[in-house]
Formats: sequence, C-alpha cells, structure tokens
Amino acid sequence: MSTRSKTWPTLLAERPLPWEPSADVYRTKDGWLVKFDLAGVQIGDVTVALQGRRLIVSGVRRDSFLEEGSSYYSMEISYNRFERSLLMPANLENARVTIVAREGLLLVRMITEGNENV
Amino acid sequence: MSEQPVVYTLPVLPLKSAVLFPYLVMPLSAGRAASIAAVEAALATESKEILIFTQRDADIDTPGKDDLYTIGTKAVIRKMNRSSEGHLELMVMGMERVVLLKVDSSEPFLKGRANPLPLPEDKGPEIEALQGALAELAGEALTLAQPNTPQELRGLLASNEDPLRLTFVLSAMFSLDAEKSQSLLEAPTRAEALRMMHRYLMHEVQVLELRNKITNEARTEMSKEQKDYLLRQQMRAIQQELGEKGGEQAEAQQLSERLEKAGLPEDILKEAKRELDRLEKLPPGAPDYNVIRTYLDYVLDLPWTKSTEDSLDIAKARQVLDEDHFGLKDVKERILEHLGVLKLNPNAKAPILCFVGPPGVGKTSLGQSIARALNRKFERMSLGGLHDEAELRGHRRTYIGAMPGRVIQAMRRAGANNPVLMLDEVDKLGHDFRGDPAHALLEILDPEQNKTFRDNYLDLPFDLSKVLFVTTANALDTIPRPLLDRMEILRLGGYSEEEKLEIAKRYLIPKQLKETGLTVEQCNLPDDTVRKIISGYTREAGLRRLERAIGRVTRKVALKFAEGAAGPFTVSVDDLVEMLGPEQFNQEEARRDLPPGVATGLAWTESGGDVLYIEGTLLPDGKGLTLTGQLGEVMQESVKAAQSYIWSHAGDFDIDPALFKNSGVHVHVPAGAIPKDGPSAGVTMATALTSLYTKLPARSDVAMTGEITLTGLVLPIGGIKEKVLAARRAGIHTVIMPKANQKDLRDLPEEVRKEMEFIFASRVEDVLQTAIPQLAERMDTCKTRLISHAA
Repeated sequence: MSTRSKTWPTLLAERPLPWEPSADVYRTKDGWLVKFDLAGVQIGDVTVALQGRRLIVSGVRRDSFLEEGSSYYSMEISYNRFERSLLMPANLENARVTIVAREGLLLVRMITEGNENV
Repeated sequence: MSEQPVVYTLPVLPLKSAVLFPYLVMPLSAGRAASIAAVEAALATESKEILIFTQRDADIDTPGKDDLYTIGTKAVIRKMNRSSEGHLELMVMGMERVVLLKVDSSEPFLKGRANPLPLPEDKGPEIEALQGALAELAGEALTLAQPNTPQELRGLLASNEDPLRLTFVLSAMFSLDAEKSQSLLEAPTRAEALRMMHRYLMHEVQVLELRNKITNEARTEMSKEQKDYLLRQQMRAIQQELGEKGGEQAEAQQLSERLEKAGLPEDILKEAKRELDRLEKLPPGAPDYNVIRTYLDYVLDLPWTKSTEDSLDIAKARQVLDEDHFGLKDVKERILEHLGVLKLNPNAKAPILCFVGPPGVGKTSLGQSIARALNRKFERMSLGGLHDEAELRGHRRTYIGAMPGRVIQAMRRAGANNPVLMLDEVDKLGHDFRGDPAHALLEILDPEQNKTFRDNYLDLPFDLSKVLFVTTANALDTIPRPLLDRMEILRLGGYSEEEKLEIAKRYLIPKQLKETGLTVEQCNLPDDTVRKIISGYTREAGLRRLERAIGRVTRKVALKFAEGAAGPFTVSVDDLVEMLGPEQFNQEEARRDLPPGVATGLAWTESGGDVLYIEGTLLPDGKGLTLTGQLGEVMQESVKAAQSYIWSHAGDFDIDPALFKNSGVHVHVPAGAIPKDGPSAGVTMATALTSLYTKLPARSDVAMTGEITLTGLVLPIGGIKEKVLAARRAGIHTVIMPKANQKDLRDLPEEVRKEMEFIFASRVEDVLQTAIPQLAERMDTCKTRLISHAA
C-alpha cells in the first residue's frame, strides 16, 4: 500500500527542492559568525557562496552510517541536497571567510575588521 | 549533457491513487511488502532517493511496469516512521519529473531506470494571462470551500511565480483524482497544464457553489422569520417612500377610527388609546402585537353604552308570558312589576331573580320568555360544575391564551348592556383550590358592586347594573348564604295533573306534532289519553318525561302514516299499552288498613313530592331505639323528640308505661335505599309511635307533614305544593299540615284545593286526634274520667 496518507496534511514546500539547515548568526568584534546545524555533513560536500549581502550555504548530506545487513527503523534526519540562503545585514563580499566544521556544526566566519558596506 | 543523458537507477514506489508532484512534500503510507522493501532499499542509500510512479489501476496489488504511468517523480524520503500496523509512514519530497525507461527487477521490489524529464518552460503573454486567471479562480474556489482560509495560504497562491508549481499546489489542495493529477504532471507545455487546471477548478467551483447554495437554503429556512421581518421592514420603507400606509399601520389606523366611532366612555377610551399607542410601536411579529390587537378588538366589541330599548307595553308583555308558559303566576307578576317600575324610572336597578324548582318545570325557558316579553337580548350560561373563579372573571392578559370571563363574553355576544343573562344551575357550582366561583358571583350579582365589574382580562370597569340576572336552581341548600341573600327567590313548584294536562294540550302536543310533521287533524290525543300518560307513564314534578312520552306517541302515529295508513288517528287509552308498553307506574294506591305503628307521611324531593310510610315496631325484651332507612341526623333527632314527647304524655294517651321500660322500638322508613333528612316528618313519627304504643291503627286516607317540638308544637315546613300533589296522586284526600302553612295553599291550583281536605294543626294532639280516630275517643273518655274524678 502506497497511498496518500489521510492522517498527514499535504505540506507545501516553502522552498522547493533542498532541505534547509538551521542557522545562528553572531555579530563578532571583527565581523560576523554564522553557525549552521549540519551534523554528519562532510566539509568537502559543502559550498559557501557570498553574493552581495546574501550568504548561501549548499551541499549534500550523505548517510554514511549504513552497515551491511542493517535497515532503518525510523528516519527523521533529512539527507541529500540542502541549501540555506541568508540575507546578511551588510555586504560581505570583501570579507575574509573561513570555514570550520566542529562538533557537528559548520562555522562560517567572515572578518571585515570594520570595513563593512552596510 | 544531451549526449550523455542522466539515468537514475532507483527503487520504484508505486502509488495507488495519488500523484506526487515535484516541489511538493507529501505524506505517504507504504504497506505492501514490495513497497516496504523499496523504501527500505532507498533508505539504505546515502541520498535516500526513490522513484514514485502512479498505478494506472488502483486495484492491482503487485504492479509491473505496464501497470504504471511512465511519467512520475523522483523523490527524496525526508522522514520515515513505522506505524503500529507495520506500515511505513513516509514524508517524501518531489524533486523532478522523470520518465520510466525500464524495470530492472520486480523482486523483492521494483527497481527501475528513469530519465529526467524537465518540466516545460514555455513563456509568453498567454501563460501570464492564464496564470492570472487561474490564481483568481483559485481564490474564488478557496473562498467557497473554506471561507476562513488562513491569509498565508492565499498569499502563497498569489506569490507563486512558477505557473506549474501553482497548478501542482492547487491540484493537491483541491484533491484532484489520480487521473487528472497524472495528466497535469504529464502536460507537455505550461499553457496546457494551466488550461487543464483551469478547467478542473472551474468544475470544482461550480460544485462548491451548488453545495453552498444548498446549505444556504437550509439556513434560510431556519431564519425565515427573520427574513420575513426584514422583508416587512423593507416593505414598510417602500410604502413610506410611496406615501402609502403599511399593513399594520393601516390596521392601527383602522382600530383608531373604530375607537373614535365606538363612542366609548371617557376613561375606557383613554385606556384603549394607550393600548393602541403601544400597538403602533410594536413590530407585527412581536408576540405582544396580537395580544394587544385581540384585546382592542374585544374592548371595541363590548357594548359599553349600547343598550336595546325595552318594550314597555305591559299588556303585550303579559301576552307573551302567557303564550309561553301556563300558570307560574308569581313569576309573571314579578316580571310585569319590574316592567312597570322601568316605565316610571328608566334607570331602575334590575332585580336578580332566582328560579327554584324541580327539573323540567320550565325555569330555563321562562328566562327566554322574559327576554322576549321585555324585548331584550337573551344570553345563557350554565354554571353547573364550574369550579374555577377565572371562568367567570377571566385571566389576566399576561397569560398566554388569556380570555375574558364568561360574563364579559356573554355581554359581547349579547351586544347590548341590558340583556337578560341567565345563570343556569347556580346550585351546582363547584369549588376547588383555584378558588370559589360563588365568591366571584357575589360581586357580579350585587347591584351595588356590579356597576363597575372588573374582569381580569379587560381590567376596565364594566357596568353590569342594567343586566337582568336570572339564576336557576333545583335546590337552595347548596347555594352559599351570602349569594342566596342577593337573590330574589321565586319558587316554581311541580305541576298538578290538571296543569300538566293543560300544558300538554297547549304546548307539548302541538310542539311534538310539529316536530313529527303531523297536523292537529291527523292525530288526536283526547284528554283521557293524556291523563293516562301523565299518571301511568310519568312520575315527575316537571314535564320532560311527559313531553318525551307524547313525542313517542306522535312518532308511532307518524310511522303509521308513513306506512300508508289513512288517518286521522285518535289515540285512545287502550292504544297506549301498544305504543308505550305496559304502565310504568301504578297509581300509587294508598295502603289500606294500616297496622298499628304505621303512619303516612309526605316528603319533598327534588323531582316533586312523595308519599312516605313510617313503620314502627316494638321489640319485646329489647332496649332503646333502632333507626333504619338512611335517615339523616335531623330526622333521627325528630324521631327521638317524638318518642320523648309521647313518653312524657303517656298518661294522656292511656299508654302502659311498662311498654317503655320493657321493650325497644325499631323505626324504619322505606324505601331503604334513598337517603332522607329533614324535620318535616316529625308529626308522622309521633303518629306512628303513638299508634304503636296504643296499638290503635292510624287512618290510611290521611297523610301528614310538619315539624314537632318537644312540647308538642307543630312548626311550619316547606314544599307544601309538592307534598299535597303527591298525596293527591296517591289517592289520599286528607292532608294534615301545620297551621302556619295555611298561607301556602294559595300556590295550589283551584281544583286541587277544592278536591282536597286540609286539616291545620298547631299541636301534636290535633294531629293525633285526626290521624288515630280511636285515640280521639279514648282521650275523650280519659278526659271525662279525669273530669269525673275531679268531680
């Protein structure tokens, strides 16, 4: 049986394709720090792009914990392509960007040292 | 890219009756083993991708490639959960449109290869126009389907830039069936998809409109009253605009005009106008509206000042009364007296008459006759069994269905304020916890108070003082004293045989002949025959049974005519047995040769008078006094008084005193089943007991009546006429009665007075001497003895 379940309402995807990780944005002394909830994502699968004020993080989360002979009992974590676009308060195209993965979080630090074109 | 087309090799999830569109998240439930296996296989990949195709036929359980539409969607499984029944609850996200190329394997699950089939991207003004139209239509449909759709959802529809996405969203929102959804997914151009969706949605809108109309109609019916009210208000507005008067305004206007013309007394008019003001302010739908209208109607209908003109021609009135009734001199005189008074003083207070007499003597018809003689309206109401005061005085208007009392209703029917109002059976008023209607009558029948009689419903004073009240009763003892006090009692005694004969000849026979359609010539009832009917077939004070018997005779005669016999017929005495059966009453023969201890008394009953034998016997070795025959308390006491009197005068009657000591007495009054009471059998008791103790028989041709005292006085009693007539019927021609009742003899018809012998007694000795002849002799010798002793 693969019918549409009556118990769940049809959900409309706000944004169509990829899933969106949650993000925190910090104002730091020398610029901005954006923290993405991207556990289980290899840093090589992530692309960070800055277009004017827009910060776009996209990539793929692959399920790398599959064992031979095992199967899912339930699944809540979203896999496959993700994409998150944030509108920053300032144009950060000239900022220095560093990307670090730590404890399941992706940290994008943008250092402007005060040269922001707000 | 085109040289090397992308090919996905993925598990295939067949959908039974739904289509997953790209861009949409859809909850699914996978239950079939193959589907579960396919989902598990998909989840076992890094990317969780799966191909979703819709089945052409939802009833197939294990579909192959040919059972699926070739165009479907590649999806990512977002969430998975197992339900308690072992199903997999999925949340899938449509990624892109694909076309199924090949199914690699079908065991344990379908695995297929598919090429992406990019969604069409045609552009142009037509697309824009179509999209605009569709969005508008969607808004309309949404309003119809769910009037309170969240604003965000509407915003979402409007903001959809991609026309295809709009169609997909709408398809999911309005739950299009699988076939339609599939064709939407397969649409080769945006334009076609938009047109298709527009068509579907149009249909949906029509269905929704129809459904809303149906529910609206149902709702409208519920609030019909409100609608009526609204329409009426509108009509009023329109009529005002046109300068016309509205329905209820016209009604109010009409009432107001009637009020002006009705010529009501000042205070009544004021009150009525106040009510009219209230009426004008009310909407006609208000519950009070009708109450006030009915009230005003009533007030207008009542004869506040209208009265009929009395015919004051006394000769004519006398003629009318004589035409209708035979005899009844007193009553007729009283009516004529009042007429005379009215002639001299038109504002004289009307008397309140009370006709008392046995049933069938013509009390009710006399009322009608009075009305005819005075040329007044006649209204009659029976008070028999009436036990609610409100029946007479009405209910207050606050009660639903309130009505004025019967008196006011009768006044309205009469249409004049001076009718003859007959209150029948005033002695049969009931009373219970709701009040005593007799008390209400007190006010109605008091000439001092009834000038301003206030009915609870009207709550306005109505003048009843010009009404000629006539009440009727069979007996006076159940009428409360204060009520009795207000009325002028006129007794209608029973009729004698002669009177009955006369009445039969004058009224009953012509009436019955007329009813049976015979003429006087065709059927002759000689006096002898009528006499026989009176004495042999009826026993009553009134005339009802006589009238019925005559009716029966005339009907029998009519039957003979109808059967073809040639008349005329004369009904002889002998014919009566054939027509009415054997005689029902033997002429009540007086008992001959009464033994000692029996005396003939006379009793008054509601249906006339009766002869009554009082029997006494000595009980040797017995003690005291035994009384049987359903005697009332007064009657028992009168036996004791009689006994004590005789006891104390034993010597006078030469009675052996040992008799009193050694034997008891039993007194019985037949018929034993009928309750009897009253003091009037006192002299009869005394006679019976004297006869018993002296062992001398009483005369059987003498009947007696009268109350006695312990000292031997004979006091007057009532019902002389009935008693005398009863004695005469029984063939007894001598009646002993109290001296004080001598005056009552004038009530008796002339011929009765002539035929009967009356003995008036003022002391018991007078009675005894007449009733027991041998005692008289003995007393004479006694006296002589005493005298000789003295000498």
